[in-house]
Amino acid sequence: MVGKYGAQIQELGSTAGDALIMLESLLISLQLALVTTLILLVLAFPLAYLLAFKQFLGRTLLEVVVAMPLVLPPTVLGYFVLLMIAPDSTLGRAWQALFDSSLAFSFSGMVVASVLYSLPFAVQPMQQALRAIPVSWLEMAKTQSLNVRQALWQVILPAAKGGVLVAAVLSFAHTMGEFGVVLMVGGSIPGETKVASIALFEFVEMQQQSEALMLALILMAVCFAMLSLVYAINRNGMHMVTVK
Amino acid sequence: MSSSIHISAQLGSLSLLVESSISVGITLISGENGAGKSTLLRCLAGLEMAGGQIHVTGQVWLDSSAGFSLPVEQRNVGCLWTDTALLPWLSVERNIKLGSEDSDHGDLMKLAELLEISPLMQRKPHMLSTGEAQRVALARAIFKRPALLLLDEPFSAQAPAIRQRLRVVLKAVVEELKIAVVMVSHDVEDAKLLADSHWHMREGRLLAEVKPISELLRAEE
Repeated sequence: MVGKYGAQIQELGSTAGDALIMLESLLISLQLALVTTLILLVLAFPLAYLLAFKQFLGRTLLEVVVAMPLVLPPTVLGYFVLLMIAPDSTLGRAWQALFDSSLAFSFSGMVVASVLYSLPFAVQPMQQALRAIPVSWLEMAKTQSLNVRQALWQVILPAAKGGVLVAAVLSFAHTMGEFGVVLMVGGSIPGETKVASIALFEFVEMQQQSEALMLALILMAVCFAMLSLVYAINRNGMHMVTVK
Repeated sequence: MSSSIHISAQLGSLSLLVESSISVGITLISGENGAGKSTLLRCLAGLEMAGGQIHVTGQVWLDSSAGFSLPVEQRNVGCLWTDTALLPWLSVERNIKLGSEDSDHGDLMKLAELLEISPLMQRKPHMLSTGEAQRVALARAIFKRPALLLLDEPFSAQAPAIRQRLRVVLKAVVEELKIAVVMVSHDVEDAKLLADSHWHMREGRLLAEVKPISELLRAEE
């Protein structure tokens, strides 16, 4: 009996396994994109604020460092992040002491890499939106005696909310599409660091064309939806932003 | 309590040098375009870097010899510039209350009525005419009860009929709140009906502190 249906059972098992890999990798990608986006929203805004409004020594250098991931090969960035979080590095040792686990080849390590990799996609739209705020509004906030916190919440953030939204959407979509960096830093551990783009690569490598096609279509739909959202935000009169 | 100003500033090609005192009431500044009238207002507000001293009702706002300049947000100043800078996502009421959220709502309603903007309170700025927007910005500047009110052509966008009523309102409000107003205007009627003192500026200098026309007329009688 088993011999008669063995091949079908094996095929069914294999299909279920592939579906599980697809689902798991998609969930990990979504989780990574969400965590990265939330961290970037907090981290990128002060950076964008500094770059938009303040003149200081090293401003250009900071701008270049923030933009570096746009031109750097992802594997190069991934390699340096790997060195930075390796178990024998300062950060790696501190992490090990604090959480009793390795930062390299873990979900948390991928978050560190993703935050660095998507940094310009968060900072630049916010920076442009902040720069687009009319000077007269900022001066009015001062002459109306708003303190820095009040000016931020009542004038600056509402005025730049289009840029902040675009930054969030772009960071999310960019993280969903990461490959080189997460492969270098996270490896491809099923259920932990195997993201959708890596799963897709492995399906192609194993010539599982239908699974590869399905995963590719899902990723494409997510990115299409995200970009549509960016264009909708821009068309609705919020600040027009482009990532250079 | 009177206030004194002694300002020197070099801004682009304009060299500003002004020394005078301001009392409660309306001080009007006239002069040709580029004379430095608006720049003087911006220096008083702290929006332009200037040297010298500014003392307003006993408080030091600027003393460059001591390296001190009170930050703009700590100067109790109310401003109306040609750009009204109303925030488009806030209603008229919330625009006026910006920075003065704890002030009395009844006072706001009274001021709105005087400035003829009561029916506009729930509208957004894009639904206002230029004249209405200017009156809303004037209300915002007055509502925070500033020690010094700086007005740059405050009635420039108003129709002649309402302009006359607004002069009466401004005069009454200034007397009631006992605030010092420095106002830039090219309008002879403003000088005639509003000014308690009148400066004339040319090329960044106070050429003359001229008597208000009302006093001259009284002297002639």
